[in-house]
Amino acid sequence: MRSRGLLGIILAASVYAGANDTMLIRNATVHPVSGPKQENVSVLVVDGKIAEVGAKIATKGKIKIVEGKGLHVYPGMIDSGSPVGMSEISSVRETTDTGELGDFNPQLRALIAVNPESEHIPVVRANGITSVMVLPGSMGGRGGGGGSIISGQVSMIHLDGWTWEEMEIKRDAALQLVWPAIASRGRGATDDDLPPALAARRMTFAQAKRNQEEEVRKLKEFVEAARRYQKAKAGKEPGLKPDLKFEAMLPVLDGKRPIMVLASREREIREAVDWAERERLKIVLANVREPGKMTEELARKKIPVILGSPFTTPIDDDAAYDEPFTLAALLNKAGVKIAFASFGTQFARNLPYEAGQSVAFGLPYDEALKSVTLNAAEIWGVADQYGSIEPGKWADLVVTDGDLLEVKTNVKMMFIKGAPVDLESKHTKLYKKYLARP
Amino acid sequence: MRTILLGLLTLVGLSAQNTVVIQNGIIHTVTKGTITGSVVIVNGKITEVGEKVMTPAGAKIVDASGKHVIPGIIDCHTHIAVDAINEGSVSVSSMVGVDDVVNNERMDIYRALAGGVTTANVLHGSANAIGGRNVVLKMRWGKDADGLVFKEAKPGLKMALGENPKRQGMQTTGFGAQAGQQNLRYPGTRMGVEDVIREAFTNAKEYQKEWKDYEAKKARGEMALPPRRDLQLETLVEVLEGKRLVHAHCYRADEILMLLRVSQEFGFKIATLQHVLEGYKVAKEIAAAGVGASTFSDWWSYKVEAYDAIPYNAAVLQKKGVLVSLNSDDAGGAELMRRLNTEAGKIMKYGGVTEDEALAMITINPAKQLGIDQYVGSIEAGKQADLVIYDKDPLSIFSKVEKVFIDGQQYFDRDGDMSARPRKEAEKKGLLEKEKETERRNAPQTRRPS
Amino acid sequence: MRQRIFVLTLLACAFIPLQAEVPSLVAIQDARIVTVSGAVIEKGTVVLKDGIIADVGPSAAVPAGAWVVDGKGLTVYPGLIDAFSTWGLPEAPVQVSAAGGRGAQASATPGQTAPPRSRGPEDRPGTNSWVMAADLVKNTERRVTLAHGGGFTTAVTFPRQGLVGGHGAVVNLGGETSGAMIVEPDAGLYMSTTPSGYLGYPNSLMGVLAYFRQLWIDANYYKMAKEMYAKSPQTIPRPAYDRALEGVLSTKRVLLPAAGPVQMERMVKLGKELQTSVVLWGVTEGYRMADELKKSGTPVVLNVKWPTRERDRDPDLIDTMKVLEHRDKAPTAPIVLAKAGVKFAVSSDGLDAPKDILKALKKSIDMGLPKEAAIRALTLSAAEIYGVDQRMGSIDKGKMANLVVVKGDLFDERLTIAMIFVDGVKYLPPPDPPQTPGGNAGGNRPSTVDQEEN
Repeated sequence: MRSRGLLGIILAASVYAGANDTMLIRNATVHPVSGPKQENVSVLVVDGKIAEVGAKIATKGKIKIVEGKGLHVYPGMIDSGSPVGMSEISSVRETTDTGELGDFNPQLRALIAVNPESEHIPVVRANGITSVMVLPGSMGGRGGGGGSIISGQVSMIHLDGWTWEEMEIKRDAALQLVWPAIASRGRGATDDDLPPALAARRMTFAQAKRNQEEEVRKLKEFVEAARRYQKAKAGKEPGLKPDLKFEAMLPVLDGKRPIMVLASREREIREAVDWAERERLKIVLANVREPGKMTEELARKKIPVILGSPFTTPIDDDAAYDEPFTLAALLNKAGVKIAFASFGTQFARNLPYEAGQSVAFGLPYDEALKSVTLNAAEIWGVADQYGSIEPGKWADLVVTDGDLLEVKTNVKMMFIKGAPVDLESKHTKLYKKYLARP
Repeated sequence: MRTILLGLLTLVGLSAQNTVVIQNGIIHTVTKGTITGSVVIVNGKITEVGEKVMTPAGAKIVDASGKHVIPGIIDCHTHIAVDAINEGSVSVSSMVGVDDVVNNERMDIYRALAGGVTTANVLHGSANAIGGRNVVLKMRWGKDADGLVFKEAKPGLKMALGENPKRQGMQTTGFGAQAGQQNLRYPGTRMGVEDVIREAFTNAKEYQKEWKDYEAKKARGEMALPPRRDLQLETLVEVLEGKRLVHAHCYRADEILMLLRVSQEFGFKIATLQHVLEGYKVAKEIAAAGVGASTFSDWWSYKVEAYDAIPYNAAVLQKKGVLVSLNSDDAGGAELMRRLNTEAGKIMKYGGVTEDEALAMITINPAKQLGIDQYVGSIEAGKQADLVIYDKDPLSIFSKVEKVFIDGQQYFDRDGDMSARPRKEAEKKGLLEKEKETERRNAPQTRRPS
Repeated sequence: MRQRIFVLTLLACAFIPLQAEVPSLVAIQDARIVTVSGAVIEKGTVVLKDGIIADVGPSAAVPAGAWVVDGKGLTVYPGLIDAFSTWGLPEAPVQVSAAGGRGAQASATPGQTAPPRSRGPEDRPGTNSWVMAADLVKNTERRVTLAHGGGFTTAVTFPRQGLVGGHGAVVNLGGETSGAMIVEPDAGLYMSTTPSGYLGYPNSLMGVLAYFRQLWIDANYYKMAKEMYAKSPQTIPRPAYDRALEGVLSTKRVLLPAAGPVQMERMVKLGKELQTSVVLWGVTEGYRMADELKKSGTPVVLNVKWPTRERDRDPDLIDTMKVLEHRDKAPTAPIVLAKAGVKFAVSSDGLDAPKDILKALKKSIDMGLPKEAAIRALTLSAAEIYGVDQRMGSIDKGKMANLVVVKGDLFDERLTIAMIFVDGVKYLPPPDPPQTPGGNAGGNRPSTVDQEEN
């Protein structure tokens, strides 16, 4: 940017100055993420896109000026997995639209079940999160599946819009798959730790393994069938009946659309990676918790990893007290590209703190910032438009009075595609209402 | 590993001199401002705090240059370090107590310690309108159950309102439905919850009177059979007599107000409203009743009664004159306990409290709520030396705990923890190999033909 | 199942001694005698007369008219004692009412409607403190004979239904009548802290502890009321007879469960509170408890079913250090306790066959447990814990003629029991059972600390 000549700036400014929607955030500290932070610079936004970042941006004509003195400008954060907008009160099933029945649901689209009026949306964006990958399925988890194996299409949305159509960034950003896990028992648990009734019901390892193998077999069978469909379609086989499930699989089978595979432990990760490699799928691992010896391989194969919240207890009594806090640093050090997700609604607004906590325990700060912005955009294939403050990208911007990842920091302004976003929420409204109660 | 850890602690204990000086730190006293200076500890108690102190000869020096020192964090609501949480079979379980089931070997103690928590209020669960006794523990990892108990703390009793205590009386609930359950337990509504409480305290008053009548008879020299001691009612009488603090789990404004009024009717005091997520709606009433609030920073929407919860709750309550603390409610593992410092930091953002006010919410305020503020909760001469050293601003997400002292003894040291890890791993590997070897040796014997 | 029991009973009967002619005078000559109370007699004679050890020593004379056993190659030990057992009790769970005293309720029999949930301590669910093992023991019970296969002559047998199961008895494993088996009808009150199985209160560990506390308060109150009534029947109302409280008041000692140090601390404290002496049962982590046990003077019954790695397990789930250490150290418990001078006995609880207890102890011996300490735990220490050491537990003149006579050594790889004597009556060991029906497996459920009761 800086290498551009002054002439360019002037030219650009003169071109944009007359546009309807031109805005200049000036004299702020800008964190482009794609490069080092720049102090006392301005960001020019034209028609919703970032036009220029620089110390001296000449402007003329009518332009909206946003005073950024003492403030910081960051790209809007991206939550790489959350049911925000699809689940209102997590304990009340009727308010939750994730987790459809059936094993294979690639045809389901999370986007169309996003409630734009969900109270969660303004709450989450008030902390600087502009986009979310909305998940159609449940989380699986260490204890093993439950719910679908293929849950549906993960959609990337903006946390603003009158309808889900207006919120859409990419309706089919990825396909969610929960890799079947062997669910015999939790780590470290002995029968003595379990209530007798539970201990009796616990599956043996052999049983659990058989179940898991059966699930994996079903998955492979399903994908095989989809492959046949793909071939038949390519060969214009006469009489081929359209199949919504298989249709939805096509971009994934082509390796064009990423498949987000939830696999938390080394064994499941290995199986998932091997499978994806054989099938030539573009895999993104999610909810990784115990990558173990697979860590190096993930780095070598350039498989990105979506991490859940580090705000969880260590895997067993022998694990270090800070084990969940250091996971991001460990993966990063090995060379794995990481992004964070909240994997939930109520704490989705704490996404920046997931990254911040990881910084305290060894994750380099710049990587932490990337893990909630540019890395996510790259992983989900929208880095040409989002994830950093660079000319040509959409102006999803967050203006703060301090470090974006710091708990004490206030988000002062937010722009989505250059348009200011209301930072009020149910929470601020109730706050003001009751603070004023006589 | 445990033995090694215990051994390590013993070593630290043995080598610790009676006098410790934490030098040149940024000392957040919480009650008397923040200074750059030192804390002198003699026999487990703070004797001097100041920019310039007299360092006793032979004192053990802990260099805290550039580091932050705060009072040990006090978590006003946990369920750690115990082998049972709920006696949910009955609506009034005041005869039971978690003090009976402390398990000093639970790893959550050490993990809480690693998060800077030195004192935890361990409460009975919220399955019933009137729950069981609490116990206040210090995280003296390595001591036996009795050695963990904060002896000076005032005893308490759990109560609970709203969804949890009525769940067992409801025909249907959301996930984990009790639908079709034969033995529904009264109450199943908020009305019933109030009724259970009023009935219990009515009975307690009757019981109190029976004993008074008996004492009077005895004083007159009459021969009389004393009343039967009833542990359930005895605990409630202690509440009525102000000898036992009430910690009441609550969410909605209506039920909060109900409990305030019931307590006033029966003449007992609520020490803390726990969770109290809609406390901001009735902050005025809570303040007027002189009742404390112990809440979460930003929890909401996990159940219907938490749908109006706002992260500004703590700040509103505090601004309206309520004594506020933040807690973890951790059970079965210490998670939030490891980062109550940043929970406090969030309140600076949600409602704009000051740094000292935020820190107070995890130190001196919960100390007051538990009746232990004369012993802990701030860095002042005369108090027990429960201290935490952070590498950075303790309210920042980027900080971490480096050392924790309880009663002047170092119980956690991050460097020590980290350097012990390879040894522990090697020890475990050794045991695993030993076992495998034994199994290999024994294998042919078990396959011997009969 | 029923059929199998029947067959086994027949088998067992076959080894009951020929009742027609039981000699009243027996001498085991020239045997190795492990007296336990004193030094081992390398070559000596034991004389049994009318069920009592009449003489023992290297030069004890064989009385005229005695039936003589040639003791060459044999070793004579005191009869072994299982210190925490259900042997002698019928295997089908004893049906006792689910509640005692005030508010007594009907029992929960499978297939019948469950009792109404108890509302609180006043219902006393699971208190069966009036139940006496001595009333229930049967000399025809198959495990009485099977126990001989492990060299056992005596079991301390407890009824284990409920939180307060009832009073145990020191039972000799053989007798002409069931009553004749009882050496001591009150060995202590069995208590469990595992609450599951009740619809109502208590359903948590802390509920159980509060429940015990109230039970003792009520018992003491009952006692006081009775005493006051006796003094002044005109002014003091007559207390209603309460068998549950009577049962508590007659308690000599209580048996409380404690797997490790955590439970030990809890139970020792409870014992102090209830002002009763405590024997800990179900102890598995004895290797970490020696100092405290010594300090509090609490005797324990060790569970010698050493933990092993589960066969069917997830190979990727590595056990925690605590679990690994436990598996590694569990068999050292007798060593550690013996060294510290803690009084301990052993139980076959959870083992498949009675003689597995010897195999388990052999493992400890291989790890350094002195053989004498192992034998003492199986004999005299158990007798001391239950206050019957004046009468059994060692080979001394005047003690009960309970002996086990072994070819070679008690801890030999293959145990060969030549004969056993119970109250001076000779029994031959039963043949090895075809499967593993012996011990406490099945039947009156094995009871470990964390297991579900009732």
